[in-house]
This record gives sequence, C-alpha cells and structure tokens, in this order.
Amino acid sequence: MRKLVNSIAVMALALTILATVTAQPPRRPGGWEPGGPTPRLADGKVDFGGKGVWAPIWVLDWADKKYVTEPIDVPFTPAGLTLYRERRANDSKDDPEGFCLPAGVPRYTGTPYPFQLIQLPDRVVILYEGASHMYRVILMGARHSADPDPSWLGESVGWWEGNDTLVVDTVGFNGRTWLDYVGHPSSEKLHVIEKYRRPDLNTLLYETTIEDPVYYTKPWTTSFKVRFRPGWEIKEYVCLENNKDLVHLGTAAPK
Amino acid sequence: MAKLLGLTAGLVLLVAATIPALAHHSFAAEFDSTKPVTLTGVVTKVEWMNPHTHFYIDVKDENGKVTNWDLETGSPNGLSRQGWTRNSLKVGDTITVNAFRAKDGASLASARQVTLADGRRVFAGSADDAGPGSENYRPGKQ
Repeated sequence: MRKLVNSIAVMALALTILATVTAQPPRRPGGWEPGGPTPRLADGKVDFGGKGVWAPIWVLDWADKKYVTEPIDVPFTPAGLTLYRERRANDSKDDPEGFCLPAGVPRYTGTPYPFQLIQLPDRVVILYEGASHMYRVILMGARHSADPDPSWLGESVGWWEGNDTLVVDTVGFNGRTWLDYVGHPSSEKLHVIEKYRRPDLNTLLYETTIEDPVYYTKPWTTSFKVRFRPGWEIKEYVCLENNKDLVHLGTAAPK
Repeated sequence: MAKLLGLTAGLVLLVAATIPALAHHSFAAEFDSTKPVTLTGVVTKVEWMNPHTHFYIDVKDENGKVTNWDLETGSPNGLSRQGWTRNSLKVGDTITVNAFRAKDGASLASARQVTLADGRRVFAGSADDAGPGSENYRPGKQ
C-alpha cells in the first residue's frame, strides 16, 4: 500500500514537472474556432485583412506530418539530399536565419512572426514582422521580368482563381535561403507557386508548390493553416539589434 | 527515494527531448537539451531586445564565488504577446530560472521558466512552444 502511495506521489510529481517545467512540443496547426464567415471585398474577392494579424506557428519541417496537412516524401536530387543531410547532421547551425538574414519565400509563412496582407487594386503587399521587418510586393496581373536580379524574396506576380484563391507566382531568387528550419535547400532556379485561401474568418489555408530542378526531381506541394489573431499588430523586429548567438553556434557563415 | 530521483531525472530528459529549437536560430546547435540547470540569483542587467531578450543574474556557488549568467529567452515581441512586459524583470530582483546550458561551456543558458521575485512562475521560451500563434499558447497562464 505504501509502495502504491509512493508510486502515485511519484506520478503526481512527474506530471507536475511535465506540466510546468517546459512546454509541449509543437503541434500541427488547426483546430481553433472559425470565428465567422470569410470576409469579402466589394467585388466579392476574399479579404485577407481585418483588424489583426496572421500568426503562424514555427513550421520547422515543411514535409513533416507534425506540421503540415499531409506528409511529403520529398523528391530530392542527389545534390539536394546531400545538402539536406549535411544540415541535419550539424543541427542547422549554419541556418541563414541565425545570421538575421531574411527567411525568404515561402519560409516567412512558417516562421513564428506575424504578417499582414494589404490588398490594393494593382498589388498585394505583405508585411512580415520577422527577420527583419520585411515587406513583399505582389504585382497583380503582371508578368515576370525577362531576367530579374536574384533576390531573397524573388519577384512575385499574382492573380485570382475565382473569388476564393489568391495565386502568387515567384521567381528570381538568390538561392541563399533555406525552405525551412530543417534545411530543405533552394537554388537560384527556385520557382514557388503559393495559394492563399481563407475558408473562415480565423483561418488562412496556405498551400505552396516548390519547383527547383537543382535540388528536387519534380515539384512538390505542401500546405498548412495559419491562425488569425484579432487585435494583434505587427511589432518592430530588428534582428541585428542584439544577435548574440553566433559566437555560441559554432558557425562561420550561412550556408 | 533513489527510484524517485531516477524517475524524475528520466522525466527531465524526456521533457528536454521535446524542445526542438529556438525561433531565430537552432536550439540544438547552441544549447544542450541533456543539461538542464536551475539557477537562483540577482538580476544585474536586462536586454529587452530582438532577436532574443537576455537577462543576466549573479549566482553564488557554495564557496561564495559569484558567476554572472547570461539567460536567453524568446523575442520581446513573442514574450510581450505572452503577457511579459519590459518591467517583468528588474535589476536587483532575486529570481530562479530553469534553463538549459550552452554546449560551449559558457555561462549562458536558454531559460525556459522563471520564478519571479513575487513568486509567479512565467514561461520564458520561444514562440515555437508557447508563443504567438502556437497551438499551445495559453493567455493568462503566465
């Protein structure tokens, strides 16, 4: 009997520690209240704005069922697999984000910093809070330049599929971003197609197709949900203000 | 009692294994999830800045030697959305911190939970495990 009581005490202590010392592991996004119907603009198109922000969880691995709608068997090329394994083996120490470099497209949608979409007649502007306080312009109905200069966020053009889906096509990347924390790679040949949908007030259904013949044998598509946080605003985020981690990370340069 | 200690140690390890990373950089590359540490000391400095808030505490060991520890937490943006303010920790406060040590042996640790001067226990982690937008974000539980 005493043993039983002791065991119960041990279990109680264990549960207390479990509950208080640290947090649960991240879970796949979803499961919150819809909050209301999809808001729409006067022309019937989805309104991705409102008084609040989109607040993603940190989608550490864009192929892992823990974070995304369906698990992805990523179709690596040999070069892609080699680079990915190298990044896994060294615990992502060379992640450009650690150097306060931009997360890039599409990774911004899976970093734990809020963003807002501002819809104007000829463009959609996305304001990203995270690393570091970036903006992105999507020209609606435009065509890509013949030879855009390589950049972190690339060159984005957009159009609507019906009234519900905003499609964004992006090329012109510099190949220096990782697609996610675990290190799925990207090259200058990266081509990203994103689909933004808002099935209810509080949910952004985000889908992205990754095409990059240097690191993947064929395009692959992944998706997850992002939660709307009414009342929140974008805050200033200057990553270089006090970045003290590099000396402890054991990294010399982003790779 | 040995059994109790063994189980507790095991649980700490289990819990540690569930912490994947920090929001701005790799947790695993900088901190050792098998080296939890509990520190009690006096706050000497607070840096309420991105990408991570840092605070520093003087910790006295059993021989009276004082070491100034650097405790890293989530971003001020994330912490403030969890209910922290820039005044939650003040120079001179005596606090207790549950943290994980840096791999390189520096007097640096990733703070997970802080027991404030007034006895309240607050979560100090990053957004991936209780911050803005995460599933397990619980307002009012600080």
